[in-house]
Amino acid sequence: MTISSYWQIDTAAEPRRAEPSLRPRLPALVRDRRRPSQNRFDYYAQLAQAAAQTGFDGVFLPYRRDADESRIVAAVVARAAPRIVVVPEFPASVGSAVYAAKQATTFQRSTGGRFGWAIAPDADAATRAAEGDDIGDDALHERTDEFLTVARGVHDRRPFTFAGRHFEVKDGGFDAPLNRLPFPKLFLQGEDEKALALSARHADVHLFRAAPAERLAAAIAWLGELAAQAGRRVAFGLIQPVLVRETEEEARQEAARGAAGEGALVGSFDGVAADLTRLADLGISHFVLSSTPSLEEGYRVGQHLLPRLHSLTGARRAVA
Amino acid sequence: MSIDFYWRLPTHGCHSSIHRGSYDRGDWSPPGPHNIAPGFGRDQEEDGFAYIDHLAEIAKAAESVGFLGGLIPSFPNTDDPWVISPLLARETKSFRFMIAFQPGFGNPVHTARATASLQRATGGRTLFNIITGGGGPAQLWWGDSFAHDDRYGRTSEWLDVFRGVWSGEGFSYRGRFYQVDGAGLPALLREEEFPELWFSGSSEAALQVASKHADYYLSWLEPFDQLTDKFAKVKERTAALGGEQKCAVRVDLVARPTEEEAWRDIRIGFENVTDATRNQWRGQATDSVGAARQAALRPTEARRYEDLIVAPNLWGGFNLLRGGPALGIVGSYEQCAARLDELIQRGADGFILAGTPHLEEAWRIGEEVLPLLGRNASSLLQAAE
Repeated sequence: MTISSYWQIDTAAEPRRAEPSLRPRLPALVRDRRRPSQNRFDYYAQLAQAAAQTGFDGVFLPYRRDADESRIVAAVVARAAPRIVVVPEFPASVGSAVYAAKQATTFQRSTGGRFGWAIAPDADAATRAAEGDDIGDDALHERTDEFLTVARGVHDRRPFTFAGRHFEVKDGGFDAPLNRLPFPKLFLQGEDEKALALSARHADVHLFRAAPAERLAAAIAWLGELAAQAGRRVAFGLIQPVLVRETEEEARQEAARGAAGEGALVGSFDGVAADLTRLADLGISHFVLSSTPSLEEGYRVGQHLLPRLHSLTGARRAVA
Repeated sequence: MSIDFYWRLPTHGCHSSIHRGSYDRGDWSPPGPHNIAPGFGRDQEEDGFAYIDHLAEIAKAAESVGFLGGLIPSFPNTDDPWVISPLLARETKSFRFMIAFQPGFGNPVHTARATASLQRATGGRTLFNIITGGGGPAQLWWGDSFAHDDRYGRTSEWLDVFRGVWSGEGFSYRGRFYQVDGAGLPALLREEEFPELWFSGSSEAALQVASKHADYYLSWLEPFDQLTDKFAKVKERTAALGGEQKCAVRVDLVARPTEEEAWRDIRIGFENVTDATRNQWRGQATDSVGAARQAALRPTEARRYEDLIVAPNLWGGFNLLRGGPALGIVGSYEQCAARLDELIQRGADGFILAGTPHLEEAWRIGEEVLPLLGRNASSLLQAAE
């Protein structure tokens, strides 16, 4: 099993970083020639380049309602950073499924197929009302299901016709060259039965939240079974905050200062690499790792943790 | 008074010459030895350059010669302007991205967030060409089953919500198509400039929405008297609502050192039009009023290019050479500048110009035609000073 690693670029994290308007002005003593156009987009590009330079396979951009929009950021950083896969997360409420699929073709064509799609969890009722998203709780899964059926349908088939409760297409489908590259790799999430059933039908990768190993193992077995029933294979991934240092003691000290994210694996480079390897043994092949400050921690993880992880999982493969 | 000049990014491939209809830039034709930017194949066998790299060349040429930016059109078989714009954000300096967009395709609150983010990514270089769709089978292809006038109603409500979200927190709206409770942009995004709206559409329903929402009312080139009437009508209607309507024209040019050379290129291009192309342009089903006005020219039935000369320097067969609107301007650099001056005198406040091939013609028109503007009407230049 090959391990894929993604670094998280969270547009809502570290909100004052690289945003001169939100920081105190530098003292007059310091000659400051920054222009108003310099803002966090420079930082996002730097994060993506850092991920590419330190050996990550991609970056993952969570959908944030109170910060920069993930697909805009994804396109900006994809052009700025070579090689890596860029996976923005967005909800099925963005609008037309045909339009979203068509945007994906330009992204794939322009980057040599380095685009992924992660569907964000549905928002609560109040948030949906604030977004003009008029849909009841009981129809949310059905809409995501239709959204994905239509998006993949227009990419893969012509003519494609579909009449659902949320989306309708007649004689649709993309012509060459729009669909010359494959549909983006699809990442879905969720821990409940409905989410797993949806993944069994549609996902290339199902992302779990950090959880105890026994719970993960059970969920993996369950989804594996559902996917097999649907005649498909789904890869398993994990969204996992980490806090790593040279020694476990240093990592613990840092965590005591409040630096570790919720559910973070805290430890030495070797220790956390061993933890992740045990998760890989359960069947996890895609790791979405995060830690702040994103740039410094990304370098640390890329430079010191990833080589150890690849070496350990590679050794397991050799034995197997 | 100064006039806005935009160029256009060809989002459906480009031709290396107006003489031939083959799309030999981009991957809309099969890869061949003369094809530029053939794209990435499934097996990565091509040269590693994608069509976006060619579009980057055109955008950079346009900003170098003084165009404000470019229209980025959107049709079923084009690349998408919402992706092209952020892809090119960091490698252009002043180029403004005019995104052609059917509002009904995106949730207005989400789109406001995406737009404000794009403003942040580009330093405020985003604007919209709001289109409402040609209708017919194409709308169902997009997954849109709304009828013509309903689509304009939806566009109008969409713009109400989009603007309302931008202007503050706690925006609520009760419309026929959109209901929003307590929407708003996060503080950092709200500081961004609201994008300028260029509005297309020739029907009564379109004109109504334009007079309420548009900064610029955008028309294809039509015979000058017809266009003058249209602009006067739009300006009058908006004035009655207490606003001021600017008008703009989208026009293709074949500009050459001499008029003779310009018509020679038109003649060669026209003689190379295939029956397949003519058939493609015949009988395209649409409920678009603008498309019908253009079709009244019937360029597909012409046998000689001269039959399509509708006025001095005005030729009605451009759609046969490169798709899109039929009417365009043909002439020497001076004549092209004079025709553009005339359009300004007839009420045009902005232009989207284009020529084929888009890269080389951006340089040519930027260097040879733009500098001549205003000479034919000293009153225009005086007003500009």
